[in-house]
Amino acid sequence: MSARVETAAIAVPAPETPLRRLAAEFFASPLALGSFALLVLIILFALLAPLLAPQNPYDLAKVTVMDARLEPGERGSAGFVMWLGADGAGRDMWSAILYGLRISLGVGIASGIVALILGTAIGLAAAYRGGWLDALIMRIVDLQLSFPAILVALILVAILGRGADKVMIALILVQWAYYARTVRGSALVERRKEYIEAAHCLALPPSRIVFRHLLPNVVAPMIVVGTLQTAHAISLEATLSFLGVGLPLTEPSLGLLIANGFEYMLSGRYWISFYPGVALLVTIMSINLVGDRLRDVLNPRLER
Amino acid sequence: MVFVIRRVLQSLLVVLVMSLVVFVGVHVVGDPVHILISDDMTQAEIDRFIAKLGLDRPVHVQYLHFLANAARGDLGDSFVHGEPALKLILERMPATLELALAAFLLAIVVGIPLGMYAGLRPESPASHAIMAGSILGFSLPTFWVGLMLIMVFAVMLGWLPSTGRGDFLTWDGLRHLALPAINLALFKMALVTRLARAGTREAALQDYVKFARAKGLSPSRVVLVHVLRNILIPVVTVLGLELGGLIAFSVVTETVFAWPGMGKLLIDSIQRLDRPVVVAYLVITVVMFVVINLIVDLLYAALDPRVRLREAKA
Repeated sequence: MSARVETAAIAVPAPETPLRRLAAEFFASPLALGSFALLVLIILFALLAPLLAPQNPYDLAKVTVMDARLEPGERGSAGFVMWLGADGAGRDMWSAILYGLRISLGVGIASGIVALILGTAIGLAAAYRGGWLDALIMRIVDLQLSFPAILVALILVAILGRGADKVMIALILVQWAYYARTVRGSALVERRKEYIEAAHCLALPPSRIVFRHLLPNVVAPMIVVGTLQTAHAISLEATLSFLGVGLPLTEPSLGLLIANGFEYMLSGRYWISFYPGVALLVTIMSINLVGDRLRDVLNPRLER
Repeated sequence: MVFVIRRVLQSLLVVLVMSLVVFVGVHVVGDPVHILISDDMTQAEIDRFIAKLGLDRPVHVQYLHFLANAARGDLGDSFVHGEPALKLILERMPATLELALAAFLLAIVVGIPLGMYAGLRPESPASHAIMAGSILGFSLPTFWVGLMLIMVFAVMLGWLPSTGRGDFLTWDGLRHLALPAINLALFKMALVTRLARAGTREAALQDYVKFARAKGLSPSRVVLVHVLRNILIPVVTVLGLELGGLIAFSVVTETVFAWPGMGKLLIDSIQRLDRPVVVAYLVITVVMFVVINLIVDLLYAALDPRVRLREAKA
């Protein structure tokens, strides 16, 4: 009897791990909770697009010009209601947005991850080696960051040419410098701390010091920069695609959907551009809000 | 003086490095022969063509040739227009500068009062609204805001024209300028608001403001003279550096509003593979950027001796 009471009393407070504590702190803000839930929903929409979309907007057998420019809420010839209307080719906008979200998120996240790995490796090398390597890398980073991202991206796209792979390379080359600068900055701070000195005294090999001791301690700023940069990359890709120098027509991201609706906007058919724009905006905003909250939670020095 | 020379030399180095990057990118990674030669040319014709463009010579000779030509202002002829690329760019430059300066002024005139208000009354609902608006200003993609401006003010309300440019400083010209300038200014407006707010909050605690209050000056005089003057320097410095960003971002706004500036020309040229114009745009923009950064740096050093001393020591 008494034993049972005891176990119940112990089971109530969950063991506090750093991850749990951070999660609790993160979700203490209703705004952060809301934007996180929204972001999860958006990612689910993107992942499950083929299941959720009432039609495959790029299957020519399913799309008919009969439905072209249907207004939001009208019933299409396939029998389902097009709540967000149809575009100039008769595609259901809701389906097109779900598929576009897939491409926008995919390109943004994939290029973000590659840039994160590349930038982290370069930043760690610069911080750990120091000397001329550090000076050279930081000069390149400073030079690149003195120009706005859109200009660097346009230069790269002009040089590389068009295509999904080229846009990804451009996005990676635009972003790596942000990661390299952040990682180098925090690695320099960590390097002076005693645990690294202790690791040196134990004569651990440099690779072990860098990957097992230095890297885990610079993860927090990397996560923050990673979230905010992903939002940035999605916005940049949409801008390039809108300008007609980004993803090709065969891979219609949200930016391209908005560009396609542009010509119809002047005749008052707002929905072809408006709704993909709302989807893009909500995506970027929710990632930014999550990133802001992560920065607050992961930075113990910050006063709140 | 040493500082000035150092900075000028650094700037020249940046221009050289960037010219190398652009040259290698355009002439080595991308093959100009591939673009310029049609399929039905004979081998003899192709060889003559390559020799004419100097593409048979070693790369470093080509680069020096490119530099020498660039120094004389010859950046090649446009494939599409058949005119010197530099001339095409310079013809479009006034339109871009008009747009960028209008956006610059708008960002200051709107952003500073909003930021000062939010800084003086940090807890009022209006201040919270201003700060939320500035987050929105950072997050909204420029091109989509442009579309929404066209939708509301040109299509639905019919107040303003949606595309094109009128004559400089006429009623028609200003009407055409309004929407693109607002669109381009929005991002910087958010930035100025944040800077002005931070500056005001800091200045409001300073002794000179307390002293001005204690002297019995009217609140409006304290704010408009003592606070404003002290936040103006950092705000204008940052904005000076951002002027280049405005010119780069005008690419987007110009495309949305069919504004006949350099940015629209760049996008058209990238799409038509008109490489000389692309290179000319990049060279001019990089030079403009470096010059703006140099001027702001020098001004900053002139205003703040600490910068000069630190640089001299380094």
